[in-house]
Amino acid sequence: MPVIYTADWYSAVVEAINAHVAGLRGVPEGAWTCRIEIAGDGVSPYVAAGEERHFLVRIDGGRCIWYREVLGEEEEGTVLDYRFSGPAAVFDEIAAGVIDPVDAALHGTVKVRGDMRFLMRQAELVKTLLEAYATGVETTWPLGAPPYAVTGGAGDAATAGAPTTAAAATRGPADA
Amino acid sequence: MSRATYDAIVIGAGHNGLCLAAYLQRAGLSTLVVERRHEEGGGANTEEPVMPGFRHNLHAQYMEFFDVMPMIQDFGLEDLGLRTIMPEAQAGIAFADARPPIVIHRPDQPEATHASIARYSSADADLFAELKHRAGALEGLVAGNLYNIPSAATGGPDLQAEMLDAVFGDLDIGHHYIQKSPKQVIDELFDTPELRALLYRVTVEWGFPVDQTGTGVAFLSFIMWTVGNWKLALGGTHSLAKAMTQACYREGVDLLESCSVEKILLEDGRAVGVRDRRGAEYRASKVVASNADLRQTLLDMVGEDHLSTLWVKRAKAFRYGPSHVLATPMFCLYEPPAYASARWDPDIDRCFYTMVGFDGPEDTIRYIRDAYGGTVPKPAAGTWVNSLWDRSQAPKGRHAATGWYFMPPASALSPADWAEVRATYNERFLEVWRQHAPNMTSENVLAHKLYTPDQMERKNLMREGDFSNGEFSPDQMDANRPFPEASNYRTEVDGLYLCGPSAHPGGGMHAACGYNAYKAIAEDLGLPSPVVATRGY
Amino acid sequence: MRDTYDVVIVGAGHNGLTLGAYLARSGLEVLVCERRHEEGGGLCTEELTLPGFLHNVHANYHTFVDMAPPVTDLELREHGVEYVRPEVQMASVFTDGTALVIHSDIDKTCASIARFSEDDAETFRRLHAEAHGYIDLLLGTLMYQPPMSVKELTKALSAFGVEERSEFLSVKLRVETINRFLDQHFTHPKVKAHLAFHGAVCGYTNDVKGLAIGFPLLAGKIDNWNLCVGGSHRLAHALWRDLAQHGGVMIADADVEHIVVQDGRAVGVRLTDGTEITARQAVASTVSVEQTFLEFLDPASVGEELAHKVKTKVRHKDWTLFSVHLAMDRLPEYAAAEFDPDVNRAWVVNLGYGSPEELNADWATIRAGGLPDPHPNAAVNSLYDPTDAPAGCATGLLRQFAPFALADGGEGAWDEIGPYYGRKCIEEWRRFAPNLTDDAFLASAVFTPHDIVRKLPNMIRGDWMMGEISLDNMLDQRPLPELGQYRTPIDRLYMAGSTQHPHGFITFGPAYNALAIMAEDLGIEPWWRKV
Repeated sequence: MPVIYTADWYSAVVEAINAHVAGLRGVPEGAWTCRIEIAGDGVSPYVAAGEERHFLVRIDGGRCIWYREVLGEEEEGTVLDYRFSGPAAVFDEIAAGVIDPVDAALHGTVKVRGDMRFLMRQAELVKTLLEAYATGVETTWPLGAPPYAVTGGAGDAATAGAPTTAAAATRGPADA
Repeated sequence: MSRATYDAIVIGAGHNGLCLAAYLQRAGLSTLVVERRHEEGGGANTEEPVMPGFRHNLHAQYMEFFDVMPMIQDFGLEDLGLRTIMPEAQAGIAFADARPPIVIHRPDQPEATHASIARYSSADADLFAELKHRAGALEGLVAGNLYNIPSAATGGPDLQAEMLDAVFGDLDIGHHYIQKSPKQVIDELFDTPELRALLYRVTVEWGFPVDQTGTGVAFLSFIMWTVGNWKLALGGTHSLAKAMTQACYREGVDLLESCSVEKILLEDGRAVGVRDRRGAEYRASKVVASNADLRQTLLDMVGEDHLSTLWVKRAKAFRYGPSHVLATPMFCLYEPPAYASARWDPDIDRCFYTMVGFDGPEDTIRYIRDAYGGTVPKPAAGTWVNSLWDRSQAPKGRHAATGWYFMPPASALSPADWAEVRATYNERFLEVWRQHAPNMTSENVLAHKLYTPDQMERKNLMREGDFSNGEFSPDQMDANRPFPEASNYRTEVDGLYLCGPSAHPGGGMHAACGYNAYKAIAEDLGLPSPVVATRGY
Repeated sequence: MRDTYDVVIVGAGHNGLTLGAYLARSGLEVLVCERRHEEGGGLCTEELTLPGFLHNVHANYHTFVDMAPPVTDLELREHGVEYVRPEVQMASVFTDGTALVIHSDIDKTCASIARFSEDDAETFRRLHAEAHGYIDLLLGTLMYQPPMSVKELTKALSAFGVEERSEFLSVKLRVETINRFLDQHFTHPKVKAHLAFHGAVCGYTNDVKGLAIGFPLLAGKIDNWNLCVGGSHRLAHALWRDLAQHGGVMIADADVEHIVVQDGRAVGVRLTDGTEITARQAVASTVSVEQTFLEFLDPASVGEELAHKVKTKVRHKDWTLFSVHLAMDRLPEYAAAEFDPDVNRAWVVNLGYGSPEELNADWATIRAGGLPDPHPNAAVNSLYDPTDAPAGCATGLLRQFAPFALADGGEGAWDEIGPYYGRKCIEEWRRFAPNLTDDAFLASAVFTPHDIVRKLPNMIRGDWMMGEISLDNMLDQRPLPELGQYRTPIDRLYMAGSTQHPHGFITFGPAYNALAIMAEDLGIEPWWRKV
């Protein structure tokens, strides 16, 4: 069971997505790059308050090609098709299957930017991708799954899950 | 705004301010124009104040400087929305007793003008044609006078004497004409009372008080040049301001409307920016120029405390009106006026500018003197029906007429009196109009409204309703305007310039104040000269 | 003007100018032709009464300026456009002296509603919160994108299970009136009256089937109305400034009479004065469908079928507005201020509609061509923008829902009855604000439905939304299926004004969406699509 926000976890998400999508018909051709922007909110221990973690997802012909975390300069020049942004706790809750991603979008807690018309037309694909993300991976939560009753709170993020180097970004705290 | 600091700030988006801004930006200075009103243009103002679809120029009516205005050529204003029409019949006077009108035509139709005047007097027709022809050749001189910073010699008796000798010497026009008033010159040259009446009024409208001694030559050079030389701006005078504004934008000028400047910011005696009434500050690293009137600029925005005693004295002594004080009546019509006099000459029904209500020179003189003297004159007017040439100015099947009444300065009447004038004067004028054009019954008039000098004061800050922002008299003209120490657009405050009609050459759609202010600034800052050799200025 | 540009746009309303500015910023040579003597169209501010009193002749409320992409893309705030969001947005004053007040602060709004019904206050709070949650999403989907069909939209909402996740959204809204929606969720007639009134002012008539679908969004934006400081025209000025600073040209008094078509492609325009202008790449019209297809184009280019559809199937609003513009020497003081002092600071006031039934009755009267007893709404912009009137004075606006064609009386009927009806509207205001005696009004100017058309002929029959607001005339069906995606049957001729999705009002939507389509066809890289 991969630890949240580690390379293994990203691979697991990719696998989950592709497994879920496999059964879909009418998947559109074309490739999309999406960025997920998770903002530290002082609640989730996995992102330092006031910082943001960015993840890029590439979907091509419905399949997920890669899902990785990116830092700073790596992002320059990336042409985005969609951006999903919100507080870290909300994304944690989605990954933990505690809240429904569509609910989060409707409540405005996760902001969605991009060609909305296309997104609406591809409801089935989108739902499948979200479902895979939310339920397709069994995640290990070293600092506690939401609502984070296990260990301390936000203050631990700096020492625990937040990456400080590009290398560390692909390793989780368990590898440190 | 895009920046908090510019190289130059121009106070006022009147056409002079816009002209200056365009040249400054082109010369490489980042320029901001700040305008108190919600729209640009100042006196280049066209609105629909009476009924939707009926357009009226609230101030400037004639485009007499189009052929000479540098900005039009230098910035391609004709590609940016400035289009003109030049009616054939230009200026006319009609009579209630249906006697022949006098109609002055465009300069390229001298025979028609001659025929019209000759109905009264061949001699006058001949002389008029000759003077008109010679004045036409003076265009360069007129333009040179407008578009140069005045020197002590400008308008001086020596230059005038030279010009008289060279151009009019063979017509028994002696040097003493320099000292005459325009009325004296007109009376001496022409016998026909009807022609005199027309010329008195034309003279006053173009800015020379008809009884003002010392301006006799201006009649021969300027008035005779301009009469019949007028164009109509398609869409109204405001289209000049719009084209200028668009030219400014294309150069990169920024403009902030609804921004009322309260103070010019000073540091160590230098103008460094402006502060508006809401407290926002905008900085200018090189130039602040004001299109606002003299007293507002010096006494309000700079403040007496920051001026020398001399300048305060001069600013306080600067007079407004009675010259150039007008009221603008506006009429929405079914049919254009059809004059009784037209049976002699149908051109009077299709004449750009028609005088109505002046039976002869005495009428005209009394009218002018009443207004200058502080009394509301007996109703009479100069009128335009621009929709005859420009269909955009009225709905289909209708016409929009605008006029000018000469009126006393705003302070000569109380607000209640002005309200009374607004409520009653147009109807009184319509009775007069009906006598001259029987179809001008109340059935022909859909609606009307009158815009008076006190309103002009409030709307456009034209003190006393004086569209020149300063009386036009020899002690306040040329190198004396607004006063000798300030006549080269510079002020005693470093970096502060005047660019509005309080400076030479006063009011009118020439943009010369702005152009000349640019010349002064260019000299001081080493910017490119705007002079184009082929035109000489 | 020069005789060749890349794109010629007909109409310098906010859509024409917006489209022009984007294209100019994209490096194209753009000409915007405006029939009137100034830009702006419905963004029109004039001193209709007396010097110093700035009256918004048409658009008075700018509700989308905080979310419309062009506001940031074209740097309109840097061009000097300023908005104020009034703290007291809108109020209803009722004949019994009570009042309901919508504030920019939701707690205050709910407190006001609670005085009539605590249940309604709670419901409203939930509606507002829910709508706020999805407002960005749905407006981004609906307003600033070329349209999908109602069917696609409901299918998507279904697929995402929106109905299950929301209290107020439902597929049933597609066939319901706003009245029905209000009956289902609210109890007090005055609360319902105010909400119905709010919808009406936005052009969404409360008794029209299917408009309930838009109501949750309207409710979400009920407290986000903005006032353009210095007058609505300031926005037009800023748009023009952006266009011209980027090389575009707007020519006023350029009355287009003909769109030139060669080999099935739009290649230019001709003005009424004979001037011919070539458009190398495209022509976009922001005026009415009728003008574009029945006046500007040769019948041969349009074809009989489309011409017939334009004549018979293009639908307009069945009510319009009668306005009275007022120069005042004082602010209104409402009798209802005793009940709620905030009423005196309300930007917009519903004078007297106490139930949706009263509104319904007026719609019936209006649709029959009758003049209802006045229930105008009053807006005093000076409360929040004191620069729009001389010191100590105020600029007032009364707006009354009215028919375009009066049942008894022909063309001239409005001109005759205007002054009388204007006086009645003022009297009605006085009933609720007794301090507005005759001497409070320094001058007044009525603006009848016929005046609307005289000034802006593209607003056919005074239709200020430029097309009926109904479910059948929305999204990709607006104004006709053939024209619903901004392209027309004529190559390189586009419709980019308020006839198109989304609709009228100051949204910038039609232009922004037409731009997307034109960018595809003209090969322009959409630099503005920052995700």
